[in-house]
Amino acid sequence: MGALSTAPFRQEFPFLEWKRGLTVQRWKHLAAAVLLAVLTVFASFRCNVDVASFFTGIGKGAALLQMFFPPEWSGVGGMMQPLAVTAVMALIATILGMCLSLPCALAASSNLAPPLLRLTMRSFIALERGLPEIVQMLLLIAIFGLGAIPGLVALSFSSIGMLAKLLADGIEEIEPQMLEAVEGTGATRSQVIRYAVIPQILPSLLANGLFRFEVNVRAGVILGAVGAGGIGYVMSSSMNAMEYPRACMATLLTLALVFASERISDFFRARIFSAGALR
Amino acid sequence: MLQVTNVRVVLPNGKRLVNDVSFSVGRGEFVSILGSSGAGKSLTLRCIVGLTRPSEGKITLTGPEGKTYSTTSVGQKEMRRARRHIGLIFQGSNLVKRLTVLENVMLGRLGHIHPLRSWMLGFKDSEARAAMVALDRVNMAQCAARLAGSLSGGEMQRVSIARAIYQRPLIYLADEPISSLDPKNAEAIMSILQPLSRETPVIGAFHQPVVVARYCTRVIGIREGRVVYDGPAQLSARQLESIYGDSSAESLAPPYDLEAQPFLFEPDLQPPMRQGIHQGVAV
Repeated sequence: MGALSTAPFRQEFPFLEWKRGLTVQRWKHLAAAVLLAVLTVFASFRCNVDVASFFTGIGKGAALLQMFFPPEWSGVGGMMQPLAVTAVMALIATILGMCLSLPCALAASSNLAPPLLRLTMRSFIALERGLPEIVQMLLLIAIFGLGAIPGLVALSFSSIGMLAKLLADGIEEIEPQMLEAVEGTGATRSQVIRYAVIPQILPSLLANGLFRFEVNVRAGVILGAVGAGGIGYVMSSSMNAMEYPRACMATLLTLALVFASERISDFFRARIFSAGALR
Repeated sequence: MLQVTNVRVVLPNGKRLVNDVSFSVGRGEFVSILGSSGAGKSLTLRCIVGLTRPSEGKITLTGPEGKTYSTTSVGQKEMRRARRHIGLIFQGSNLVKRLTVLENVMLGRLGHIHPLRSWMLGFKDSEARAAMVALDRVNMAQCAARLAGSLSGGEMQRVSIARAIYQRPLIYLADEPISSLDPKNAEAIMSILQPLSRETPVIGAFHQPVVVARYCTRVIGIREGRVVYDGPAQLSARQLESIYGDSSAESLAPPYDLEAQPFLFEPDLQPPMRQGIHQGVAV
């Protein structure tokens, strides 16, 4: 029972436990690597992956690429309008998404909403997130016809899906004591939301909304190609008409738009967080 | 005056967390509820403010003009009316971290403000001035414009006292207000609460009998959900033992059911392991 009899053991047992865990972990890593390799080889055979066609494609691609240059600089003026359509579509969808995601998030959070409402709203959000923008777009074209409207609605819906999920998770992370302390002063549920929930999640709503703006610009280009208009449509139509220099110009403008939206979003997000820290 | 009568909190499985607690608190009292963790201190306080609904019992708060408020067996509206008159001071993190200190203080009187005004207009200047007075009382006026999240633990605790003061309640409830603070800050908090209790009674849950003996006027000892002591704050060793239980006997008992230890996968190492656990816990 003395210190001597237990001292060596008390160091040895945790060590052995650790070492055993390490060995197990190494075997797991090895097994995972082997499994991955086997799966890759098996899948390649199943799908008739022809490595040779990859290399011949590279050669063809290089030749095709030459046809893209020089870009059709003169087309810039005409492309400004579709470019603006894409940017404005992304912007409006982001704003709509941010405004509508707040009530959805409140209804989807377990610490504010009753279970049934929460379940309904969570399912709705899961449905929106489960359908990619392009699938929603194709469904909406059937309703609204071609044009910016189905694109706008599809982008808004998927913005709501993403933002409401992130926000609802954020609301559920608010410490219950904080809500109880406000509730304990005799405040109503709506006052608790106004003074405890919204101040806590507003920065994350703004930051995620700005990030969503970037995503919407990129997704807007894709939706344009399938019928929402904008720069994406210019690109796909000129590719189809084999006007490669024009497609190249559209690609360059798209790149510029995406970079610009990223810079804007980064700039404002940095300001949100620095303002929060300084005050 | 606060009157707590025969309050019980019973879990669905029949376990009694608060078992027949009765006491009343009147003018000028600084009451400390003592008891080991899980004895039912916090739960009793939560019952008083209605955050936990007791299974049985009655809690009434009487105002100076004889008006009574109850937090048991009432609807949401009555409950909110009663809560306006109870100043809550929780331990630690109960401020809204992304609001300013002054706004946090002003939350104290939300119960007196119509929700529509909260959404459309917000607080008035006159309210902000009154809140500054409350902040000044806890020596935090210089931090009014800072975000609550940037304060230290002791400062946060003082702001939450200011919020309760601004509320102008009939009674203050403090749930372990000094548990997470260093001795110096704890002292500061107690010396704010003590003069406060001369105007409006304070009930607090504490873990430090020595501090309690110095500042409080009365101790209510709770053990396993029952009131086992109600009297002056200066406790003898035997009285302490009756509240906290025989601590030496507890530490001598085997701490673990060794058969139920799931992580013992090396059978040959078990016997010395037994000693290892024992020593680790006893130290």
